[in-house]
Amino acid sequence: MVILLWGVARGRLSEAAGATGLVFLPIGAYALGMLLLMEDSKRVTFCGSCHVMTPILQSLHEDNGSLASIHFRRGRVSHEEACFVCHSGYGIWGTANAKWAGIRHMLHTITGHYERPLQLSGPFDINSCLSCHAQAANFRAVEAHQAIDLQEALMAREMSCTGACHPSAHPEEAIAAGAPAS
Amino acid sequence: MTRLACVLVLVSLGSVVLLALDTTGWNAILFSFVGAPLLVAGVFVYVVQRWREGAFRIAQPSPRETQIRKESA
Repeated sequence: MVILLWGVARGRLSEAAGATGLVFLPIGAYALGMLLLMEDSKRVTFCGSCHVMTPILQSLHEDNGSLASIHFRRGRVSHEEACFVCHSGYGIWGTANAKWAGIRHMLHTITGHYERPLQLSGPFDINSCLSCHAQAANFRAVEAHQAIDLQEALMAREMSCTGACHPSAHPEEAIAAGAPAS
Repeated sequence: MTRLACVLVLVSLGSVVLLALDTTGWNAILFSFVGAPLLVAGVFVYVVQRWREGAFRIAQPSPRETQIRKESA
């Protein structure tokens, strides 16, 4: 920054100062910023910082019977990264897709183009559920989960955990609410 | 040109500082959609300026140097 301020004041820089202050250090700082953003954007507070997500974030703390609230209040998901744990999908491509989705979210926020009630973009990746539940004894003990038809439908992604069997992930009023993106 | 490049890069670094101080959605938007283009523009302006100054040209021997080499060969 000192080099840049010097450049603004004097209107010229030496070759070494120019390359350092205008190219290498800023690009390095930006790369570090990108890493910071990659990590910090997993946080619940980051997701809730946009107005459209605030009611959903608040609903996590309420005893409203939604799947997200049940998991959050019982400490089944990290309180730091609850949104990312469930919505990123499983594995490295889940993380990559979550980052891509984040760019789309930013564009929606800039343009204010959010339709309510909010809709999940694409099908929910139930591997996020099954990666914890599939091997759990109490999950396997449920008679409905032992049905071959149901297991095939789940594996083929023809049905999801929420909807017919389990309550919706977030309360309807939280999904429909939220101040317009500003 | 140098002054313009410095201002562009300074403003883009401002978005990095904001992001580092408070990682919120809006600061991430500033970082991604304002800061990054400004950084690219600043570096581009600086590289164009250096190119116009002849920084990236391959040095050619002067006619006098070529003549001396021919005579010594």
